[in-house]
Amino acid sequence: MVAAWKTAGLTYNTYLAIAARVVRRSLKEQPRLAAERRGQMQLKFAKWEGGKQGEMKNIAAEQVQ
Amino acid sequence: MNSLRTVSRVALRARPTRSLFAATRTYADAAGPGDKIRLSLTLPHQTIYKASDVIQVNIPAESGDMGILASHVPSIEQLRPGVMEVIEEGAGSKSFFLSGGFAIVQPDSQLSINAVEAYPLEDFSIEAIRAQLIEANKIANGSGSERDIAEAAIEIEVLEALQAAVR
Repeated sequence: MVAAWKTAGLTYNTYLAIAARVVRRSLKEQPRLAAERRGQMQLKFAKWEGGKQGEMKNIAAEQVQ
Repeated sequence: MNSLRTVSRVALRARPTRSLFAATRTYADAAGPGDKIRLSLTLPHQTIYKASDVIQVNIPAESGDMGILASHVPSIEQLRPGVMEVIEEGAGSKSFFLSGGFAIVQPDSQLSINAVEAYPLEDFSIEAIRAQLIEANKIANGSGSERDIAEAAIEIEVLEALQAAVR
C-alpha cells in the first residue's frame, strides 16, 4: 500500500516535517514557544545563470524540486 | 587412596582455569541484564533515554502496535505518529507522543528509537488539537492543490492520533 502523501508527490522527509510541525503546534503554551523557536529555519538560496546571480529566495517558502 | 587425592588435586587446580572461561565477555553480557532491554530514545535536539535498561517498550509501528521485550528479534520498524510507552522497573510507565521516525532493534537487546519530536502526553493542549483538526478538515475537504490536501491529510492523521491519546 502506498501512502496518500507519496502519491501526492511528497517525500518522506516532508511528511516527517509536517507531522513534527503539527505536534509542536499542539503543545501547551510553554513548551510550544520553546519548540517552535527550534523549528524555525532560515536559509536563502539563489540560482546562478549565465554568470549572474538570480533572485534570493527563502528555502522554507519554496517547494523543493 | 593416593590416586584419589591426586584426582582431587587436579580438580582443584583445574577450577581457576574454568572460572577464567566464565569471565569471558559475550555479546549477551555486554548488553546488560538478560531480562531488560537497553533503550535509547533520541531526537535531533534532545536525548530522552540514553542506554537505559527498561523492562518493556511499546511502539506504534507502521505495521501495527508492538511491545518489545529483551531478546527481541532484530528488526527495523517505521513508526507512525502515536504514543510510545516505556515500562521501567519500579518507576511505573511513561508515555510519549512521537511524531514519527524509526525504531531499530539490535541483536544484543538494544533498542534505538529516532523521532523528530517526542513529548509526554501532559504537555499537549486538547484545545489546540481540536482547533487545528477543524482547520485541517476544512483544507482537506476544500478545493486546494493536491499538495495542500495531502498536507492536510497528514495533519489529520497526526491530530486524530493526538486526540485519542490526550484526554
